[in-house]
Amino acid sequence: MALHAGGDLGLVERLRTERHLAKCDRCRDSVAAFTELREVLPELAEIPEVPWNRLASEMRANIRLGLEAGECVRTGVPGEAAEVSKLRRFAGGRTALAFASVVALVGTGLILEQSSPVAGPLAGTAAAKEGPLVQATENGIQVRVGGSAFRLMNAGAKSVTYSARADGSMGARYLDPETGYVTINNVYVE
Amino acid sequence: MFMSSRAIQILAVVVLLSAGTLLAQEAPLPPGSVNVNLPANSPLGLISTSMSDSRTTARGAALMLDLHMSLTLRNSSQNRIHGVTLRVVSQEVTLGGKGWVTYPSLNVGPGEAFPVRIDMQLMRPSPVMAGTLVQVDLDGVLFQDLSFFGPDRLNSRRTMTASEMEAQRDRDHYKRILAEGGKPGLKREMLESMARQSEVSQLAVTVKRAGRAVTSAAVPGERTAEFAFLQFPDSPVAPLEGWAQLAGNEARAPHINVRNNSTRAVKHVEMGWLVSDQSGRQYMAASVPSGDATLNLPPGNTARLDQEATLSFTSKGQPVNVQKMMGFVNQVEFADGKIWVPNRQNLDNAGLQKVLPASAEELRLTEIYRKRGPDALVQELSKF
Repeated sequence: MALHAGGDLGLVERLRTERHLAKCDRCRDSVAAFTELREVLPELAEIPEVPWNRLASEMRANIRLGLEAGECVRTGVPGEAAEVSKLRRFAGGRTALAFASVVALVGTGLILEQSSPVAGPLAGTAAAKEGPLVQATENGIQVRVGGSAFRLMNAGAKSVTYSARADGSMGARYLDPETGYVTINNVYVE
Repeated sequence: MFMSSRAIQILAVVVLLSAGTLLAQEAPLPPGSVNVNLPANSPLGLISTSMSDSRTTARGAALMLDLHMSLTLRNSSQNRIHGVTLRVVSQEVTLGGKGWVTYPSLNVGPGEAFPVRIDMQLMRPSPVMAGTLVQVDLDGVLFQDLSFFGPDRLNSRRTMTASEMEAQRDRDHYKRILAEGGKPGLKREMLESMARQSEVSQLAVTVKRAGRAVTSAAVPGERTAEFAFLQFPDSPVAPLEGWAQLAGNEARAPHINVRNNSTRAVKHVEMGWLVSDQSGRQYMAASVPSGDATLNLPPGNTARLDQEATLSFTSKGQPVNVQKMMGFVNQVEFADGKIWVPNRQNLDNAGLQKVLPASAEELRLTEIYRKRGPDALVQELSKF
């Protein structure tokens, strides 16, 4: 779900996930939560690209390896068959814990990445320590001032054209998939 | 080992319950939090409003408001409507920021209804919420004959008129292609347009309205770069010289001098701003409008376009270091409200079609072709 929210899935996986999301409220909520997390992190667009697919494969492999190793250890201890049986009933809990840990790890990593300045000689001074910023986010454009943000979203749009203006405004133009009309969102800061 | 596993199970349950609690603090929008205001003499009537799926979500001490609003409007005038702009304001949250949504390239006849959507999010540090959080007002309606209704606080008259001029330009272009090459010619042109649209590279731009806090002299590596200019033979305004401060992936304080070569007074000029990266790849970076709201540029006179914003550029998460800059006249508004935009020949000759995104109308027409085929496109063109 995190990979889908980040737009990091391949075409086939993305289509399969979208089909699933169309009929699963829980996963939709999960994707929405990941999307919001990405948007809350202010400079997400600035971080280097993360090889999500490779990362996901490695994490899955590590989790599977850990679970298999656990099975080997348990089956090798005589007299613990009953406990092993009990533990198996909680296999879902352990897997959930593993995933929660991975999510926490990835989230922490992203936050730490945010603190890295953007490459370029002005990066340190250009950070918006004060004053409003106008920028594009994962699926919209926003004016952000400290902990407050005002966003206009490109709901469901497949292709969005962003246009910045040196007077402090930004536009996002797209075809609204529901109405079929060209829609141009604009945010501006005075 | 068993005890340790048990502890892990308990910890997992606690973690998941905590996460669930954090995600579960959602509530529907309180009544009165959104206000849609259309003036009594408006050419638009509000038929219905829907805000299903809108909600507020508490996240610790912060509050997130998700607004998904569908409005059904009716054209209650006697003219065909070609554009609408709605102003969306949440003054309390944005501290001077505001937003607006424009629907260009409409063709709504008298008495006809049409849907529009506004999707927005507000995030505020305080969970306390009372009164109207979001105000939606009408800023302007543009009619087929380019007449206008509305307070125009956002200069939507100029924006929508320019968009309409581009729309007329592009419709005329495709009508001419159809007349000269028939449906095969139109099809070929549509495919070329779609290919161009898919190849245009976009920059992710962040804009900071005010200039940086430190002086230029204190910024290591900053240099003054000059604009090169594309000249359009029929442009009423000619760029003379211009420059901006560049450093790494940032550019700030663009200044461009222009001269009015026409016989009419000009009250607004907007320049397109292209940047090239180290590999020579060109991007549309931004536009530079005349900052002076009371610009009055008589024939033969010169003026300077000044903006103090700082823009930073990235592409695919990586900073794009600006090597070269190019400018071109993108829009001119005369004192009588008439608008000039570059013609397609200008854009073709300068190679700008490969860099600039398609106009709103071209986007709409290619979508009609893509979804409904050449016959539907021919029918659509015949409506204008």
